[in-house]
Amino acid sequence: MSNIIEIKNVTYNYIEDEVEYTAVDNVSLDIKRGSFTVILGHNGSGKSTLAKMMNGLNKPTAGDIVVDGINTKDEETELLVKRKVGMVFQNPDNQLVASIVEEDVAFGPENLGLEPQLIRKRVDEALESVGMAEFKDSTPHHLSGGQKQRIAIAGMIAMRPECLILDEPTAMLDPKGRAEIITTIEHLNKQGMTVVLITHYMEEAQNADRVLVMNDGKFIADGTPKEIFKNVSMLKSVGLDVPQTTELLYELNQNGISVPTDVLSIEETANAIAAFLEEK
Amino acid sequence: MSVLKVQNLSHTYGGNTPFYSDAVSNVSFTVEQGEMIGIIGHTGSGKSTLVQHLNGILKPTEGEIFIDEENIWERPKEIRKIRSKVGLVFQYPEYQLFEETVFADIAFGPKNMGLMGDELKKRVLDTCRLIGVKDEYLEKSPFDLSGGEKRRVAIAGVMAMRPKIIVFDEPTAGLDPKGRQDIIKIINDYRTAYNATVIIISHSMEDMAVMADKLIVMSKGEVVMLDKTEKVFAQGDRLRSIGLNVPIVTRVFDALRQKGISVPDDVFTVERAVEALKQIKAGDRNA
Repeated sequence: MSNIIEIKNVTYNYIEDEVEYTAVDNVSLDIKRGSFTVILGHNGSGKSTLAKMMNGLNKPTAGDIVVDGINTKDEETELLVKRKVGMVFQNPDNQLVASIVEEDVAFGPENLGLEPQLIRKRVDEALESVGMAEFKDSTPHHLSGGQKQRIAIAGMIAMRPECLILDEPTAMLDPKGRAEIITTIEHLNKQGMTVVLITHYMEEAQNADRVLVMNDGKFIADGTPKEIFKNVSMLKSVGLDVPQTTELLYELNQNGISVPTDVLSIEETANAIAAFLEEK
Repeated sequence: MSVLKVQNLSHTYGGNTPFYSDAVSNVSFTVEQGEMIGIIGHTGSGKSTLVQHLNGILKPTEGEIFIDEENIWERPKEIRKIRSKVGLVFQYPEYQLFEETVFADIAFGPKNMGLMGDELKKRVLDTCRLIGVKDEYLEKSPFDLSGGEKRRVAIAGVMAMRPKIIVFDEPTAGLDPKGRQDIIKIINDYRTAYNATVIIISHSMEDMAVMADKLIVMSKGEVVMLDKTEKVFAQGDRLRSIGLNVPIVTRVFDALRQKGISVPDDVFTVERAVEALKQIKAGDRNA
């Protein structure tokens, strides 16, 4: 698999009150085409700054980010990078611009100067892929948070990006809305979209191909979800939480009950406990 | 004597317009001093509308609210007085910071209650200590703080009025896990320090299992369940039928039961789960 994004020794510094801070500290990462990558980290760990560099909103202080062969520092191709990498942010209300759902989704393709028929086609397909086709004539502010966020995602998909970066898309949603977004993201990934999801909810990383943990501007862990979640004490030490299933298995081990810790789902956890109870 | 009594409360938005909708209908419950009550229900179930009645921000379309056995709308002109007894922390309260310094922002409420000079200063400092806002922050602009700090300052502004009932509308929304834990600790500390009654709207069944004595479950503007936390979480099917669920650890125990393993049905926290499994294993050995 080829890389859609290559992050090479990237550092990002910013200045506040005449003091220089480092938000991202010499980080390297390749995002493979079609993959589902999750970046975990608490607020202020540098994950959002990194995300904004991946579509050229922020430019690295040092190092390079190459999107589909294009360096994000190159001003002439800046718009091309933004078209290849779509971003979805935390607050759905800040991302919707039109008063009708389908007009909102059409905003991006219209700006690309596409033919009206092609725009129509893309809007319909985008709404279909996020499961919001039946709401195309609705008013965004009458929708739930999860629905609004799906419209924001549809708006990005309609631009046909190569990669979708979502920066805490579920942080402001209720459990139902969160589930809707995660299902949507996983569905898009299965259809071939490269996805980078930034979150601090571990359970959203369950089906990722790869999970990275960020702290103080650096990656401190990199592996499959099961490999990462096993390390409960490391995750807690950087202010993160684990799913309650993992927490339970961890606490059982702490209490002298030996159960595997590399399982995640409710079913797997129940199986692990059942196996322990059956031991004589 | 109940500290709060809500009786047949209904609230209708947009009466006599085409947008007419019942946000809360015929809700009744009572709360004792020092209790921690959780309100759960999905978005649009009427939770926020309900709690905005508790300190008189919304006036019931029908029904009454009693604080210390006094009908809060008996003298409508004095409704503001109720706000020193019942503090309400809105969703994303950090968006409501407005003063030039952290001190001034926290002092705003107690000042309006008539506190002045050293007494006011002491009140602000005591509150800061309780919630872990450092003294050196007091002269900073609240807008220079981080998201989590801003939220703590906003909560401090309500706590500085020392309300005997404090209501939180999704106090941990949008925070990272560490930030969520900090806020939960502050809420517990305030409750312990002042024997306060706490009412908290939350989407986290796991948090509610640990924190709440009782749960009010709302669906479509109505209270559909009101009971001790363990009794509510013992009714998983009913919760699922209104789009809610039981804590994850409870679902693990439900899955065990489906495998034909006999496990207790009152497991809602990790702590209790570990204890229950230890007991089962010990029992096996003795058998």
